[in-house]
Amino acid sequence: MSTKNTHIPEWLTVPFAGITPAPTQEKGQDLFPTGNWRSIRPVYRDKLPPCNNACGTNEKIQGYLDLVKRGKYLDAYALIKEDMPFPSVTGRVCYHPCEQACNRGKYDEAISIRAVERFLGDLGQALTNDVVKAGKPNGKKVAVVGSGPAGHSAAYQLARMGYKVTILEKSPKAGGLNRGGIPDWVLPQNILDREIERLEQLGITIKTGVEVGKDVSWDDLKKDYDACVLAIGLTEPNSVRAEGENKDGVLYGLPFLRDIGMGSSKVKLGARVAVIGGGNTAIDCAREALRQGAAEVTMITVEGNTKEMPASPEDLHDMLEEGVELLHGRAVTAVLGNGKCEGLHLHKARFQGAINASPIIVDREAPAERFAVDNVIIAIGQHASLKWLPAEFKNERGTIKMDKFGRLGDTNFFAAGDIAQAGSGQPLMVVNAVGDGKRVAFNLDKVMRGEALQPRTIPVDVIFDLNRMNMTYFPHFPRVQQDMLQPASRKKTQQEVIQPFTEEQAVEEANRCFSCGTCNACDNCYLVCPEPCIARPERSNGLYKILVDYCKGCRVCIEECPTGCLEGVPELDFDTGVVRMDTAFAISPGLHGRQAEQLRNLAERAPKNI
Amino acid sequence: MPTVTEAKKRMVRINGCVASAQAAKYADVDVIAAYPIRPYTATMMALAQMVANGELDAEYIVADSEHSQLSIAHGASSSGARVFTGSSGVGVQFAYELYSPISGSRMPVQMMIADRTLDPPGDFGSEHTDALSTRDMGWIMGWSCDAQEAFDNHLIAYRIGEDPRVLLPQMVCQDGFFVSHITGDVELPDTGQVKEFLPPYKHPYPLDPRHPVSHGPQIMPEQGPPLQLERARAMEGSMAVIEEVHEEFAKIFGRKYDPWLEEFMTDDADVVFFLQGAHAVTARFAIQHMRERGLKVGMVRLRTIRPYPTDRVRESLSKFKVVGVIETNMGLGGVSSGGALYAEAAAALYESDKRPLVLSFMAGMGGEAIVLKEFYWMTEKMLEAQRRGKIEKRTHWVGFEE
Amino acid sequence: MATIEVQRQMLPILNSPNQGARFYNPELPSSEPFVPGHRTCAGCGPSIQYRMTSKAAGDNTILVGPTGCMYVANSSYLCTPYNVPWAHTQIGSAGSFTAGVAAAYEAMIRKGKWKGKFPNIICEAGDGSASDIGLASISGALYRNHDCLIICYDNEQYANTGIQASSRTPYGGMTTFSPPGPEVPEGKKLYPKDLARMMAAGHPHCYVATASVGYPIDLMNKVRKGLNHKGAAYLMVYTPCQKGFVYETPRSIDLGRLVVECGLYPMWEWNPEKREFDYSFRPASMRPVSEYLKLQGRFGHLHAEHIANLQKFANQQWKMVGVQVPEALIQAADAKNLVNMAAASEAAAVAETV
Repeated sequence: MSTKNTHIPEWLTVPFAGITPAPTQEKGQDLFPTGNWRSIRPVYRDKLPPCNNACGTNEKIQGYLDLVKRGKYLDAYALIKEDMPFPSVTGRVCYHPCEQACNRGKYDEAISIRAVERFLGDLGQALTNDVVKAGKPNGKKVAVVGSGPAGHSAAYQLARMGYKVTILEKSPKAGGLNRGGIPDWVLPQNILDREIERLEQLGITIKTGVEVGKDVSWDDLKKDYDACVLAIGLTEPNSVRAEGENKDGVLYGLPFLRDIGMGSSKVKLGARVAVIGGGNTAIDCAREALRQGAAEVTMITVEGNTKEMPASPEDLHDMLEEGVELLHGRAVTAVLGNGKCEGLHLHKARFQGAINASPIIVDREAPAERFAVDNVIIAIGQHASLKWLPAEFKNERGTIKMDKFGRLGDTNFFAAGDIAQAGSGQPLMVVNAVGDGKRVAFNLDKVMRGEALQPRTIPVDVIFDLNRMNMTYFPHFPRVQQDMLQPASRKKTQQEVIQPFTEEQAVEEANRCFSCGTCNACDNCYLVCPEPCIARPERSNGLYKILVDYCKGCRVCIEECPTGCLEGVPELDFDTGVVRMDTAFAISPGLHGRQAEQLRNLAERAPKNI
Repeated sequence: MPTVTEAKKRMVRINGCVASAQAAKYADVDVIAAYPIRPYTATMMALAQMVANGELDAEYIVADSEHSQLSIAHGASSSGARVFTGSSGVGVQFAYELYSPISGSRMPVQMMIADRTLDPPGDFGSEHTDALSTRDMGWIMGWSCDAQEAFDNHLIAYRIGEDPRVLLPQMVCQDGFFVSHITGDVELPDTGQVKEFLPPYKHPYPLDPRHPVSHGPQIMPEQGPPLQLERARAMEGSMAVIEEVHEEFAKIFGRKYDPWLEEFMTDDADVVFFLQGAHAVTARFAIQHMRERGLKVGMVRLRTIRPYPTDRVRESLSKFKVVGVIETNMGLGGVSSGGALYAEAAAALYESDKRPLVLSFMAGMGGEAIVLKEFYWMTEKMLEAQRRGKIEKRTHWVGFEE
Repeated sequence: MATIEVQRQMLPILNSPNQGARFYNPELPSSEPFVPGHRTCAGCGPSIQYRMTSKAAGDNTILVGPTGCMYVANSSYLCTPYNVPWAHTQIGSAGSFTAGVAAAYEAMIRKGKWKGKFPNIICEAGDGSASDIGLASISGALYRNHDCLIICYDNEQYANTGIQASSRTPYGGMTTFSPPGPEVPEGKKLYPKDLARMMAAGHPHCYVATASVGYPIDLMNKVRKGLNHKGAAYLMVYTPCQKGFVYETPRSIDLGRLVVECGLYPMWEWNPEKREFDYSFRPASMRPVSEYLKLQGRFGHLHAEHIANLQKFANQQWKMVGVQVPEALIQAADAKNLVNMAAASEAAAVAETV
């Protein structure tokens, strides 16, 4: 026959009729790697969402919103607790710089982050045992002076690291500004009590009625403890330096609120009350005045309009809703009355330069306006009381002298919170104090372990530009509004004004989050890849891997990444060793943190196993 | 599980189309792809009725064209089903694209062809050109000359084509009208006999989700030749299987066919007719008539043209002085300017030491019967060539010459 | 005759918020019947479709690939990307080969020759196969109602052979068989065949739908609806071809959305039970066709009048699916209101130098 003695060379040996065996899903077909077509490589690179960046304590906001979205509330709560000891408190009182920074605000309305935080905080309150546990005891004792936000935060973080922490609080009840500076109708005291209980559950000893400088001295602290965090706050109210300020009926904002909060208030307000100041404490005072029986409350500010006031717009709105009047561009020059406050002299005034950051110019040439009041509450800030502190640690601003890590010289003393931040340009808000307390706790730990202190890293890449995301994937949705008590009924009670989110509301609101710059495991890249060379080895968490042997570099995944987490990196960068990234890495430990860990190890594995 | 109604051996009087349909039924085919064209239509009509009656459990598909018929057959066979289809005339041509893909993917599709003249003009009569034009596409091909043989050939062809050593499609051809529409006695076998003879179809790599494979992927130029060589070898290798299967058939059914050639009155013949298909029946009668008048004439009928039994043809035809090829097909402008069969016969004889003279007779064209007078005329032409020892005219259009 | 009842698969419909893939979808099947390592171009639209389709179908699936890019570029000898059975067939055999596979499984399961649930049988025909050469065979398969899904991955041209016009190539689309020139400035003069509607009208017992790679979950759900439908189903899927459309590869999905938003690819389903069209799909926005055209080199030669013609065509399509055409789009269908695309880019270039 004609085909006798014809051989098919081995290298051309073919299976039956060219029928080709199928590749397997696990191994794929590895005969035709197309990765060498590529000039640009997709890389998962988590950016810092602006909310995380803006938060005083850098809560992983995108992270917990994403978990809430998926119904993983407990995980979300645990994530928030990494940076924030009391989300139930900040969920109520925070001035939420995150929401101001929220990219969604440029698109429709910012995410109601605080409301979701409160939802999680309340969830945590309801738990019998908190998710956070004390660290393994390291035998070191730390005193934290002050139980306000900064002290609370520092003590919390130190306990988690294994320190034996004692909180010294001069008031009869722990809580500091959280208790004394915030009215009950914003933060019910039982909420705070529960959070303080949580501290005790971490093994922290809280000694109330102990005042530094009186009951314990600097040397005592030095002797009895290995280290100390001074979070003593600004306790002394600022005066307006008006004539007759010492008359009866002149009150100061923080003591006014504190005494009510501690239950030791003896104040009886008259019908007409003026509040001096345009900040959040002033607003709280004005609204508290209504609840304390005042009929007419007027707020007098140097700021020329509401926009200039350093107050949260929502609180301002709620205050006006309750009927507080505003009088802008005025300064108090005298308190009138015979022994008791009966009225005020007001003069036109303005800031010389930047609002709230420059001296006030009072137009004393013009005739004074007379303003009849029964009480005046002055709420224009506080300053520190540091008589007990060794002189070497005092600075010219009247606060504590320390280095950029919050450390006092080369001692084991650290300062945190308002006392450390006053005059630094940082807003003196609860969340900033919490952040400061947290950072100081970590710095203290480093010092105790003899490690070098690292300055705070500046976020490398914060997404502010919506063009870096694919907005096609974000339909417009209005912000979910929190229910509120009606102004008429609420202004005479101590009932909480703002109502919590229901579960549905919290999920709906979390769903609005863009997850700016961060992989939120939406599966888009995974679904649109034409190869497909984006693998998702686990079903639940979106740990994506790009099979670089096959990726042709079409960049569809990058284009379709809603959050802007995926980006293209020229392939040359990989070969020259300028940037060594295997397939992905994350610069912030967001949801992608674990992936980054896993992927950093990829270099050690053979490419075929990836 | 029996799907064909259990049947005992019995004799029936049916035409070739129905015999083919019966064979498909006995083969328990799974998928039937039909499309109407005369004369083979009657096969599909019969099968439709069998399915309607519940005698045969098969998917009976009325395709939208012959191209689709063959594609359906290809798809079904690729999936592991035993497939039956068929056509005639231009229908065979319409499906032409599929012949090579089916044999190339080694799917043992079976196609029944009842020959019909190609257009133009519309002619219902039998000419073998329709099937013969596809003879090099890798299909096992042969002609039956009566209804019984048609029935048998279908079963035999399935057995050959589905043999794992072969795996090739088959064209089981019969002349339109002469076989397809003329009744004859057919012995329908016992179901058990068929089961014994024809095991279930099993392709080694069907389209089965549990064992995924890709059929017919794109290849690089250098990967083409080995695949073609494989297919060529399968065709050659089938010859041994064909012989084996015919033996087996004879053992089980008691009817013995030479797989390649039927020789009729050739023992002392000087001149023989070389032909395929139904004209053999008239040729046998004519030869007997001529023998009674002392003419030493015989007949060699080719039963299987693909694979072509070159050696057998050479051995057989070398015995004679003159071979007259009865074409019944058009080979326009071909070797003999007549039909294609001449070339097949002559080429087989090329290596012979004793080459007979070969004539090409264009007879039975357009489906006309070849009558006794014409057999005499053709025999006379062959004897004349024998006398002269050479050929003056290679091709004769019978009935158009003195 | 005793026969075995054929068991069929029922694939769950995926939850589809916003018809996109915006949110992680826990129901997404993990199976990958289409693996990487094939020669399709980077960003290949048909390949995206192939992957989504096969993923939606799962592992008990048989794929049929008539000649076209998804045959030539995907299936390489000894390294095919399909890990479910796949078979090439002739370009004109799309419907018939598929019908053969379906018929074989009907018979084999019924007769006890194959055990298991009836597989998903999917034919992936290009628009050349589906709208031209294989039209009759597909119509035949639909008419006979084999339990299969025939997909036309519509890249609006014969791409595999080097970009030739098919009867799905849009008006004005430049291909090597419809090049623009001084005598034929628009390139392709004919409007595309309304293939899917033709299939729905002619085979009302079949599930018929149009889909686009721009809406992955919607596409996957339509695949599943088609597979779940007992009988034949037909799906026409917009799959952009970066080689023929001449666009930047990352825009594949984007074009899949734009073509719908511009009204050039109406999305609908034909409900065989109710015997009516479901026109409820609405893209997020409606846009003028120029937004779709300007991303593609194949429309680069068009003049204002041609763009206006295409807008007119789009407006007619909107009306066919019961959408009121906004005034702006009616305006855009008038050439007077449009600027020549080429002229516009020239103007932009001039503006930059001034």
